[in-house]
Amino acid sequence: MFRKVLIANRGEIACRIAATLREMGIAPVMVYSAADRGALHTRAGSEAIPIGPAEARASYLDIEAVLGAARRAGAEAIHPGYGFLAESPDFAAAVEAAGLTFIGPTPEQIRTLGDKRAARSLAARAGVPVVPGAEGGDSKALAAQARKLGYPVIVKAALGGGGKGMRIVADEPSLIEAAESASRLALTAFGDASVYVEKRLERPRHVEVQVLGDGNGGAIHLLERECSLQRRHQKVIEESPAPGLDEALRSRLAQAAVDLARAARYRGAGTVEFLVAGDGAFHFLEVNTRLQVEHPVTEVVTGVDLVRAQLQIAAERRLPFDQSAVKGQGHAIEARIYAEDPSRGFLPQAGEAAKVRWPRGPFLRVDAGVESGNQVPVHYDPILAKLIAGGETRKAALARLVAGLDAALVHGVVTNLPFLRALARAREVERASFDTEWIEREFLAGFTALATAPAPDLALAAVSIFEAEKTPGAGSRGPAADPTGVPRDGSGAFRAPGRWRLPGLE
Amino acid sequence: MSLRLAWRDGDRVRVVEAAAGSGRYRVSVDGVEIALEVEWLDRDIFRLVTPQGAVLAEVTAAGERRFVRLGAMDFVFEREGEEGRTLRAGAPRRSAAHGSGLEAPMPGVVTRVMAAVGEEVRKGQPLVVLEAMKMEHVIRAPRDGRVRSVAASAGEMVSGGMPLVELED
Repeated sequence: MFRKVLIANRGEIACRIAATLREMGIAPVMVYSAADRGALHTRAGSEAIPIGPAEARASYLDIEAVLGAARRAGAEAIHPGYGFLAESPDFAAAVEAAGLTFIGPTPEQIRTLGDKRAARSLAARAGVPVVPGAEGGDSKALAAQARKLGYPVIVKAALGGGGKGMRIVADEPSLIEAAESASRLALTAFGDASVYVEKRLERPRHVEVQVLGDGNGGAIHLLERECSLQRRHQKVIEESPAPGLDEALRSRLAQAAVDLARAARYRGAGTVEFLVAGDGAFHFLEVNTRLQVEHPVTEVVTGVDLVRAQLQIAAERRLPFDQSAVKGQGHAIEARIYAEDPSRGFLPQAGEAAKVRWPRGPFLRVDAGVESGNQVPVHYDPILAKLIAGGETRKAALARLVAGLDAALVHGVVTNLPFLRALARAREVERASFDTEWIEREFLAGFTALATAPAPDLALAAVSIFEAEKTPGAGSRGPAADPTGVPRDGSGAFRAPGRWRLPGLE
Repeated sequence: MSLRLAWRDGDRVRVVEAAAGSGRYRVSVDGVEIALEVEWLDRDIFRLVTPQGAVLAEVTAAGERRFVRLGAMDFVFEREGEEGRTLRAGAPRRSAAHGSGLEAPMPGVVTRVMAAVGEEVRKGQPLVVLEAMKMEHVIRAPRDGRVRSVAASAGEMVSGGMPLVELED
């Protein structure tokens, strides 16, 4: 096993990977950009190395900078996490060329599976049904293909994952604009501007299967995850197992994923994503050749530490256990906490997370990348933390998630917590009757209406501001100014707090 | 001791008026009157006791904003510019009267500037592309007009609310 592994990432995932490394007696080497000096992840390892300026292109996405840090630290392997260089075949190749181990699939596998078009043909050859779509090209070619498929279609970047830049379009002018925008984004984010179109399926569910491959044609699955609760193709709440799937369908999905992984001679941890229609028909969507953001729900249900499994496969080139060892127990559900303002169109937020308090409790896991006083930089994905709740039943896990979301506190940057709290309480979520478009089609309108708080609550909130503003250094002093705990009634001590606004209620 | 706090809720201004003394408040808002007592529990944490029950409130100051946790609810208040005072660049400008639609909707990096001073632009025409947190935002002309000034260049970092382009009236 390795003695020293560099984590080429930041935030919650860097912290989470470091935790397993430390547990395994491996020294984690962290890297950071100028914007992340003092970030939580820089303290998660045994050393932290600066790799460049705030701009990801010149730091977390800079292959030479990351390799330089690995050499300097004497790391034997590199774990890429998700995002950044995780799905860059050039990076994987450069790591191997430098004589280090890349904790993930081979560069060729990343290239083939990461190119969604190539992955589609591989899936088709492995006998897995794919979503009707077309090869791509310039915007004129895309427009012709879209006409043939019939609108609406989805515009996607050929490379990269996570739905970045993905857009549903209903006509040709928006197709061309979406294609150009997706193309620019893809070029900055993934270094390749290719985009393609796919037929948009009606009200599908997103179900994905976690797989592990040994790189020699052996592969197993670790059950499925249901990730249909999405906003703009970004997953918000994920769970395992997928509710409402019958056993036959679950095992067909798992088998299709394993068939694909075997056909690809896949190495390491990966996820095969499917869209499942109301009638149980399913289509291959894409393969993510990395650890997923939502991997913890699988860990909770199977008891398998996926990062450990990744390291074992990378070091020993074989699977650490076989299929019969994988048993699911109970249910797990995860919510992603983002620095984004749900009352302003989910605009990403940045700034100092002045006060952060993550919930604690039995069967509640928090994978966080931020604590009180940390900066949330503008340069990166705004994920702050993930809350993962487990339970014997889905109902129990969901109740724990709701309680955990209620107890979570982030002050200083606006987060999506109010949105998550409302979402986790929605009847459709309780009944698991949703699809990938449900949030935008039905939930968001009702949620926005709830933004106007009832008068008594606002009055109480306002009184809290009166109280906090009374003392100098408003909001940062407390009883110290008044040890009796009784606020002073002196005329000079009080000042009218004045005019404030509640943002986002226009 | 009388206190007044006004907040803008959409196009309404809602006012909380409170009479306070020795930790007791009488608060009225929207014609609803509430009597409550405030106990300090810890730094920034209060127990608000009303006839209906008690609730914990936690306040955090962050620049011109106050974050208030009330039970399991979060509120964010922003201090408003005083009447007649121009809000400084960078402060969120939200009201229809102020907002021209040409401000950066959030802090980010300008990736492209597609408008030049003196250029005639048409409504809906993209003027500036801003990238933040891996999302791309296109700032478009809210109406036909001539570009008076462009305050940003490609590669430049801008703060949320900062006016990027100005059109002639």
